[in-house]
Amino acid sequence: MIKIKLFTFFLLVLGFLPKKQSDKHLLNVEIKKNVEKFKGEINFGKASFYFMEKNWDSTLVYSIKQLSDTDNKTIIDFCHYFRAISFKQKKLLNEAIKEFNEISNDFLFPYKVKLSLGEILLKQNKFRDAIACFQEINRLPENSDIDFNRSAVVHNLGICYLHLNQFDKAEKYLVKSSELHLLDKDTLMLIGAYTDIANLYYTQYKDQQAIPYFERAYHLSKKVNDFKLKSSVTLNMAVVEENRGNFPLALKYRKEYDKWKDSLNNQSEIWAVAQFEKKFAVNQKNKEITLLEAENKLKIAERNGLLYSFVLLLVLLVVGIYYYMQKVKNNKTILAQKAKLDELNATKDKLFSVVSHDLRSSVNALKKSNVTLLENFKTNNLDKLNKLLQNNVAIANSVYSLLDNLLQWTLLQTKQSYFKKESICLFQIVEQMSYNYKPLMLDKNIHFENKVSKSDLVYVDQESLKIILRNLLDNAIKFSNQEGTITVYSLDVESIHCNLIVKDTGIGISKINQKELLKETALLSKKRNEGVIGTGLGLQLCKSMIKKNGGKFLIESEEGKGTKMIVSLPKNNRHG
Amino acid sequence: MDNLNVLIVEDSSADSDALVKVLFSNGYNVVGVATSYKEALDLFYKNKVDVVVVDVFLNGNPDGIHFAETINAAPYVSKPFVFLTSSNDRQIFEKAKLTRPFSFLLKPFNELEILYAIEMAVEKFNSQTNVFFSQEQNTVVTNEYLFVKKGKALKKVLISNIVYIEVEERYCNVVTEKEKFVILISLTKILNLLDASKFYRTHRNYIVNIEKVVEIIPADNLIMLSGNHKAILSNKYKDFIKKLRVL
Repeated sequence: MIKIKLFTFFLLVLGFLPKKQSDKHLLNVEIKKNVEKFKGEINFGKASFYFMEKNWDSTLVYSIKQLSDTDNKTIIDFCHYFRAISFKQKKLLNEAIKEFNEISNDFLFPYKVKLSLGEILLKQNKFRDAIACFQEINRLPENSDIDFNRSAVVHNLGICYLHLNQFDKAEKYLVKSSELHLLDKDTLMLIGAYTDIANLYYTQYKDQQAIPYFERAYHLSKKVNDFKLKSSVTLNMAVVEENRGNFPLALKYRKEYDKWKDSLNNQSEIWAVAQFEKKFAVNQKNKEITLLEAENKLKIAERNGLLYSFVLLLVLLVVGIYYYMQKVKNNKTILAQKAKLDELNATKDKLFSVVSHDLRSSVNALKKSNVTLLENFKTNNLDKLNKLLQNNVAIANSVYSLLDNLLQWTLLQTKQSYFKKESICLFQIVEQMSYNYKPLMLDKNIHFENKVSKSDLVYVDQESLKIILRNLLDNAIKFSNQEGTITVYSLDVESIHCNLIVKDTGIGISKINQKELLKETALLSKKRNEGVIGTGLGLQLCKSMIKKNGGKFLIESEEGKGTKMIVSLPKNNRHG
Repeated sequence: MDNLNVLIVEDSSADSDALVKVLFSNGYNVVGVATSYKEALDLFYKNKVDVVVVDVFLNGNPDGIHFAETINAAPYVSKPFVFLTSSNDRQIFEKAKLTRPFSFLLKPFNELEILYAIEMAVEKFNSQTNVFFSQEQNTVVTNEYLFVKKGKALKKVLISNIVYIEVEERYCNVVTEKEKFVILISLTKILNLLDASKFYRTHRNYIVNIEKVVEIIPADNLIMLSGNHKAILSNKYKDFIKKLRVL
């Protein structure tokens, strides 16, 4: 008997579960509403989705994620609800109860919570607690807002009472549930209800009342396809007939039971085959996946190879470009240097021709003069002799200074000259240099004045300074008229430099020529003064020497009035 | 005041003749003209030389430099040198890397240049630069001599001959037993340069050679010096007496 009872209850509770999900639409609507409302909560959306899809594991995962980062009460309640239902479905009943207890009182579907709790308690054989839950729900008024299967509740109540052996109450609820099932046209549940009622009577040994219910259940079961139900109902009939002593009938039921059981087993086998197929398919898929993975690996390797070769090529390209640029740069430098060298070479050539021309004419003049000298010597014309000798001296002097400049220029170009800066008394050097030109100036009746301050010291190379002064004085005398004046003076303009100025009252220099003279590597080819040697070499040398000594060179001149050659030299500066 | 003794080391007689002429006409005493390294050494040690004018190249060898190096190698005999050089032997001259302060002159040169070079050589040798051409001073003081610029020429005075020096503003009256002359140098400078164990200040304006003191008359604040010279001893400098060896 106990065997029969147990079998039946088990069936009932199971039979109750699919019922439960069908009446979820109100809940689903509410969930969708909330998902809309909390669009930002991705995990909640996912949990809801999987919940409705009945994917319990995913629901559990996403709901716990959502729970860990939300404060919203509604969401929390929903999540707990999802988890509770999921646990329940996974038969982790205690976990489910815990989750149900987490749900706050504000939850929109408290009766669903109660219902589920009741079902769990029933499964755990805590019948009294279950009854409390079910009664609470049963007391709720009929209402479209509340959406649950009352017949199932009543049925469950009946089962609970039956277990507690409170047969009166059990009978009352079971009968009511059977009526409700009849109304719902739910045959499966009706069969359950009839079986339960039959069991109720049967346990009380009210066989007469029980048997019709068993039979009703049996007949109804023929209309359904549930093999489990069929087998249990048939087994019940077999047991009943066996107890009645009607063995042939019992045997018939037994056989029928076996048949259903076999069907059930078949179904199980089919299920198993399906499972196997599924497994096979999964294996197949896995294989495919491995294959694809291998392919992917191959592809990645290929791609990496391509990438590396690309990078390598790029590096090569960059290096190539760099060297190309370098080469272009070098070429540019070389070209610039070549241009400069060409220019210098041209200058040198020009200088060569000008100097040789000058020398030639000077020596020629000397030659002619010597011939006249000899003639006059024969005729003892002493007056003429003196004049001619003086003329010769002048020519020799100018040739000498030209040659000296040439030598200095060469030394400068080849960087052979001795160069040592030291503190020098400007006045003394001017005195020494002008000493050489005294006869020349006397000859031209030029008045010379050295007005350089005796205390002015400059920090330069002495020989360079001498060359500079020689050339400036030479020029000043050369371009001065008879009875002219040459003044050399110093101007202490600033703290670093001292200006040395050679001023004459000569013919002056035009603006264009001034610019020309100040240009680098410029040589004047044009002869401005007849009979006066002018190559520009002297000034060129001056400029180079001044530059080498860290000074500056300026020309101030007005044609016809005179010229000021200004040499700015660094002062006595031992620290610099 | 004596003339400076100059030794000329020069192989070209044209050049040396010109030099001798210029130096002589400017009050220098040419003690000799050497034409070779050996001769130069000979003349140098035989005579009391104040300045040497030496050509870098002697008979085609840089013997002038060797000569200078030989002199410089011996202590206490070195003298101021003026090197004469022409453009084309300047490189060798440079290579010789003379570490001593020296003066050089590029040929050809004029009278002013050679005089200037000699004066510069004396200045540099005694590490008292910018003396002869400044307006504050015209005297270089060495251990033995005062070198004084007189006009274009340079003269020397044996310091041990000085009896006393009297200061008058920027000038100093130097009194020796035989003569008296004026030099341009500040008192503090000359005091620093003179041997402090021989020359003492006895008055704001007097510096006395201690070896020339004959008698001190404290009552009259007078110091009697040899050659009948007198110097004043002021109270401030009376410590001077203690330094004298009491006879």
